[in-house]
Amino acid sequence: MVVLAILLPILFGLLLLLGLPRALGVLGAGLSLLLNLYLFLTHPGGVAHGVQAPLLPGAGVYWAFGLDGLSALFFLTIGLSVLLGALVAKVEGRFLGLALLMSGLLLGLFAARDLLVFYLFFEAALIPALLMLFFYGGEGRIRAIYTLLLFTLAGSLPMLAAILAVKALGGSPTFLLEDLLAHPVGGNAAFWVFLGFALAFAVKTPLFPVHAWLPLFHQENHPSGLADALGTLYKVGVFAFFRFAIPLAPEGFAELQGLLLFLAAISALYGAWVAFSAKDFKTLLAYAGVSHMGVAALGVFSGTPEGALGGLYLLAASGVYTGGLFLLAGRLYERLHTLEIGRFRGLAESAPGLSALALFLFLAMVGLPGLSGFPGELMTLLGAYKASPWLTALAFLSVIAGAAYALTAFQKVFWEGGQRGTEDLKGAEWPFAFLAVAALVLMGVFPGFFVKGLEPLAEAFAKILGGGA
Amino acid sequence: MILLVLSSFAVALTLLGFFVSVPLFKRLTILGLSLALLSLLFTWGKPFAFGPYQVDGISQVFTLLALLGALWTVGLVRTRRFEFYLLVLYAALGMHLLASTKNLILMLVALEALSLPLYALATWRRGEGLEAALKYFLLGALAAAFFLYGTALHYGATGSLLAGTPGEGPLYALALGLLMVGLGFKVALAPFHFWTPDVYQGSPTPVVLFMATGVKAAAFAALLRVVSPGAPEALSLLIALSVLIGNLAALAQKEAKRLLAYSSIAHAGYMALALYTGNLQALGFYLLTYVLATGLAFAVLSEVSPDRVPLDHLKGLFHRDPLLGLALFVAALSLLGLPPLGGFWGKYLVFTEAARVGQWGLLVLALLTSVVSAYYYLALGLSVFQKGEAVAAPRPLARGIALLAALALLFLGFLPGIVLPALAQGG
Repeated sequence: MVVLAILLPILFGLLLLLGLPRALGVLGAGLSLLLNLYLFLTHPGGVAHGVQAPLLPGAGVYWAFGLDGLSALFFLTIGLSVLLGALVAKVEGRFLGLALLMSGLLLGLFAARDLLVFYLFFEAALIPALLMLFFYGGEGRIRAIYTLLLFTLAGSLPMLAAILAVKALGGSPTFLLEDLLAHPVGGNAAFWVFLGFALAFAVKTPLFPVHAWLPLFHQENHPSGLADALGTLYKVGVFAFFRFAIPLAPEGFAELQGLLLFLAAISALYGAWVAFSAKDFKTLLAYAGVSHMGVAALGVFSGTPEGALGGLYLLAASGVYTGGLFLLAGRLYERLHTLEIGRFRGLAESAPGLSALALFLFLAMVGLPGLSGFPGELMTLLGAYKASPWLTALAFLSVIAGAAYALTAFQKVFWEGGQRGTEDLKGAEWPFAFLAVAALVLMGVFPGFFVKGLEPLAEAFAKILGGGA
Repeated sequence: MILLVLSSFAVALTLLGFFVSVPLFKRLTILGLSLALLSLLFTWGKPFAFGPYQVDGISQVFTLLALLGALWTVGLVRTRRFEFYLLVLYAALGMHLLASTKNLILMLVALEALSLPLYALATWRRGEGLEAALKYFLLGALAAAFFLYGTALHYGATGSLLAGTPGEGPLYALALGLLMVGLGFKVALAPFHFWTPDVYQGSPTPVVLFMATGVKAAAFAALLRVVSPGAPEALSLLIALSVLIGNLAALAQKEAKRLLAYSSIAHAGYMALALYTGNLQALGFYLLTYVLATGLAFAVLSEVSPDRVPLDHLKGLFHRDPLLGLALFVAALSLLGLPPLGGFWGKYLVFTEAARVGQWGLLVLALLTSVVSAYYYLALGLSVFQKGEAVAAPRPLARGIALLAALALLFLGFLPGIVLPALAQGG
């Protein structure tokens, strides 16, 4: 089942790349979401649907996939995000094909139960991201491509060394996650191994100061926001810290915990600061992403079950609302051909539906209770408070700042003076709006339903680190 | 068996060349190489020995790669003179011999047998290629002299002409060092790489393809027998220099063949990481993906122009001919070692070997230089998608082979496990 869920979008993606019509891509995204929803709803707990086939048995590498509560949640949000993108982004079929291809690779990344297979998908997902940027990006895309590529590789090649070391030094017979967890690396080597992982995942969190690729990536990508939504899903750092880096070298993490907590808090604050003064929509969203991921990372780095749970939930939720906001920016660009916040004025008058949708998305981002951003943020800060009250207070400032930049932007675009008429929601934008709002509300009102598979994982995670702070 | 096929075809074709037409001659050469390839596959995993001529795992793996390179070259070249094919055939014979002996004297003979045809091939186009070929010849002769001197010292130190005889003392170390210089020249390890960029740029592209694939494979087979396991300390210096010089110099290149020349120096450095443990599987797999990727890159270039190919001339290739454009893109990504392409597993395997012997410093250097290499491989790979007026008139055969090689790289990326046991069985 898992393999089918991974292959389905890849297959549709390839068909679209061959030149089949765009409608097929929407169908593929819909089927993929249904399948992922089914997998999520019928998830029995533990690691379900495990499959394993030899890849390089001699070296201990297996095509191993499985779905635990965490993977299942991300399957759901990825499926949802991609369908949202497929519905409204007015792009040619091949572009959507690349997006589907990338979503399949991301599903593989989240379902991988073998460290090297995870690495394989982690790197492979870069290729469609680069191609989308290359073919459909803006003027400065070449620079953005090189920045993205060099940041990613500078992180992921040390990670490859760490992957080799974790097996060689820990004495595990294979790269399967179960085996590696049974043989964690200890002593002095743990520090270096963890550092190798941390570099790669910090780039993809993204943590200050290695976030520099992100704003460029978003500014230069196609204005429709489809590539940005996928890029948002590609920010898997928080997940990877939780799943691989910290459990595999807990002693190394313990040495760096203070620094990482500090960097996470700084990211949260710095991202919010820059977002507040951003002139255009995508820069705002990019830095808001840095800020939110800083908060999420703070939760995971706190080493407490609540913090980790909250951080992961925030990551999952932000995949939907940040992606949704990028797509919304794409809608605005199509109507008014600009992304500068100052150029939109008072759109609410002529487009009430659009304005309501934007309000929902922005409020979810702000973390209003009842919407999807709130439970994650709350749990994160609760957990982080146990580990470091001061840094949590610092990060909390970013939440307040979040309200400031998000609501200011919303107010300028939709309400403030100088009316500028535009079309309201139309066609496929209606299902887009309903799906997005439904997801935001459901994830906000029933967080317990979504995190029930996560709780045992978060407990186990905290246990590795010595029973929580 | 392979030796018999290759040598009988070579001798017979030398005589026939004056009587039959060139297209027929080309077909006969391909027939000879294919027969050798078939006999190799039929006797896979079965050792055979006749005096100092020993067909074992190393010999089979590297002969396979060398024959692939030779066939590819013959398939690609457009020439009206039969000598070209004949020289390739003789060189292939030398390569097989070089890979199939432990005897240092026979190795030297084989080294010359493969080098002499290559000197001639390097001058195939008169004019600017001549200077490069002269450089290649003079330095090659010097390297052979080093090798011979090393052989003499090796005999003095150990009383044996067999490569891999254990020994000790300064004389032995010097002998190994000199042998390494001689072979390092052929595989283009820095600091013996100075001929590479000029020769790659000046020679006809199909010949370069042959040098980058066949010669490298055969010389690595000899290197494997001479230095591993228990490679001398100096090897780490060669590796460090190769990956640094190769990758850094490639950054500044504007011409595709020169860029790939520096890339081949860097790759020689990566491959040499496997010499520490002498793991045939790792080195063989790396060379297999390298031969496919670099061969593919040169094959595409030779369809664009038999001459120099500035990177600007590749712009728009994808729009002109999607298959060739994609093939070059795939080749560049595989050389860079990005999953899910075969090159990734090659890198993974040789890096594992370095980790196994605890060469962490070299490993980190290799990884860092891989990051650097992303810049120029991407410049090469993405240039085909940019707007431009690339010219290419590929023949159906060349396109078919390019498609096959690209698919093979993808296949090796997803299922490397299928090929590896076969390589291990050879060894």
